Amino acid sequence: MKQSTDFFLLEKNGIDILVKKFLEEHKVFGPIKPGHDSTFDEIKSPKELHLDYISTVLPPKKFFHPPTENLFSFELIENTEWTYKETLHDEKTVLIGVHPCDVHAILRLDRFFSEDFRDPYYLSRRENTIIVALNCIEPSEYCFCESMGTGPFLEMGYDLLLTDIGKKYLLETGTYDGKKLLDGLKLEKADKKDLYEKKKLLEQAKKKFKRHVNTDGLSALLDDDTHDWDIWTKLAENGYPGKSFPCLSCGSCSLVCPTCYCYDVYDVIDLSLKKGVRKRELDSCQLLEYAEVALGGNFRRDRRERIRHWLMCKFGMAAGGDKSGCVGCGRCIRICPSKIDITEVARIIRGE
Amino acid sequence: MFVERINMREKPKIAVFKFTGCAGCQLELLRLEDIFLDLLEFFDISYWVMVKRENQEDGPWDISLVEGSISTPEEIKEIKEIRKKSKFLVAFGDCAIGGCIPSIRNWMPQMEAETQVYHDTSAIHSTKVLGIGEYVKIDAILKGCPPHRENILELLKSYLLKTKPRLRKHPVCIECKYRDNACLITSKKIPCMGPVTSAGCGALCPSLNRECEGCFGPMSNPNPEALASIFRDIGLSEEDIIRKFRKYAGTSIEFQREAGLR
Ligand code: SF4
Ligand code: SF4
Ligand code: SF4
Ligand code: SF4
Ligand code: SF4
Repeated sequence: MKQSTDFFLLEKNGIDILVKKFLEEHKVFGPIKPGHDSTFDEIKSPKELHLDYISTVLPPKKFFHPPTENLFSFELIENTEWTYKETLHDEKTVLIGVHPCDVHAILRLDRFFSEDFRDPYYLSRRENTIIVALNCIEPSEYCFCESMGTGPFLEMGYDLLLTDIGKKYLLETGTYDGKKLLDGLKLEKADKKDLYEKKKLLEQAKKKFKRHVNTDGLSALLDDDTHDWDIWTKLAENGYPGKSFPCLSCGSCSLVCPTCYCYDVYDVIDLSLKKGVRKRELDSCQLLEYAEVALGGNFRRDRRERIRHWLMCKFGMAAGGDKSGCVGCGRCIRICPSKIDITEVARIIRGE
Repeated sequence: MFVERINMREKPKIAVFKFTGCAGCQLELLRLEDIFLDLLEFFDISYWVMVKRENQEDGPWDISLVEGSISTPEEIKEIKEIRKKSKFLVAFGDCAIGGCIPSIRNWMPQMEAETQVYHDTSAIHSTKVLGIGEYVKIDAILKGCPPHRENILELLKSYLLKTKPRLRKHPVCIECKYRDNACLITSKKIPCMGPVTSAGCGALCPSLNRECEGCFGPMSNPNPEALASIFRDIGLSEEDIIRKFRKYAGTSIEFQREAGLR
């Protein structure tokens, strides 16, 4: 539920007070290391939190749609009847320090896991999680959210929102749940000057991006079947001139992508052969087995078909539409051992 | 119900054989000791010299797990005999699949390898080190040096259930990302074999900040040429690159070019 926004100011060490408050009734997760390769993990005391992080290896997607999870367990009772028990996680959780691109990605996953079908495993976690977002003053060298309309500042999707405005944090409320989380805290009200400061910082941040994508007409270009396959063959076999190596089909790009939702489902049977668990784990369209069907058929056997599919999907031209679309977080660029850069590929497609 | 179906049958007979290798794969099998009694509910161990005094020497066996590669004329004869007496023959581990570490000696003249060890080589009549598939038809492979216990169990369970075992062929990178690791190649310029190596280990080495050595052999449809050029870019010499690709699966079709076949 969208509520009227309250604006507060928080001393830099005020974050500690905030986290302590959250910890009273919630599990709290946030970035635990500085730098590019940080990790979202459980925060047990405020000093473990690193809001100075640049990015994480896995996006916060890992809390709602984990790399591997048990969906339910099943058991055969007296050789006649199957019973099963679902594994749902409904612990009250606060995610703190989520960057705007990642919040937008969660909003897309929300739609994927609730529109055409309702995924109880995702939704039980999601509905019990409060998001405290953090605007980006300093985009990293890999970021291009500005081009994708998903950052560097956030306008939606948060319960609480932090912006570092110099000496203090500006704290904004986005939802009733967010407001309630602040109950009992004595907070200084922000004034017009502080909001102006935020606006100024946003304008400055927008100018700091090193990577850009011109999305105008890009989907149509990708959709055009007559478009030659040269670029995909190159990416699979040579890399693009002087800058990248050929794709390894290693799948890292999709596993670190905050909007890649693809997964595989399978059973692990206990040695008694009378019980087991149904599991799911993240999958990637870059893997040969992804499009494999019975009798060894495969819809995307060639590497170039797979790398093409990735870009189609990330620019909204695959089955997921914009639900799996790119939010410009730059993770795939940093993780790719072959230095394949999605912004560069987009440029080549455009013939730039 | 499948459970009844299984209970009604006679227990399948398992045999474990060793050829040229280090016995590590058998040891991994032995490491199932915590669930060994459960396994014996479903299987008879009919032949396993490492663990049993009395062994049924002449088959037939329902499942034969063959460890080690083939490197002598006697071994060629033996593996052919075993094939005849086995209904389901498993290349158990990298040596049985493609020669693994022992196959490093294939890259030098036989004479050179022999004289490094023996003064008098007149009694030595070794062949090149090859996987068992060179001589007999195999029904399943268990990758790894050694294979992971979960994969061994997966194969045995799916044999009972008559299902297709879920043995992953995708790269170690996938398991590495499951564990939220930063990439050793892109973050530290450490030459990791993960992007071409079959998963199954749970990304053991990269999770301990050590590069993947490639011990599960090639993944499905790897791009070793691309990885070799990445290694070159981060400063590895041609010799080092060749060594990396030779180490566990130099004889495989997938890696043989980067391993130095000309
Ligand atoms: S892509 Fe944008 S929102 Fe995401 S971390 Fe970078 S600057 Fe922040
Ligand atoms: S991370 Fe790079 S090399 Fe790996 S599949 Fe993606 S684009 Fe290809
Ligand atoms: S495609 Fe790359 S840049 Fe875009 S959201 Fe996914 S990981 Fe981030
Ligand atoms: S199909 Fe799309 S969402 Fe799925 S792994 Fe590929 S790029 Fe990601
Ligand atoms: S560290 Fe190795 S296994 Fe992990 S992602 Fe990088 S290349 Fe792959």
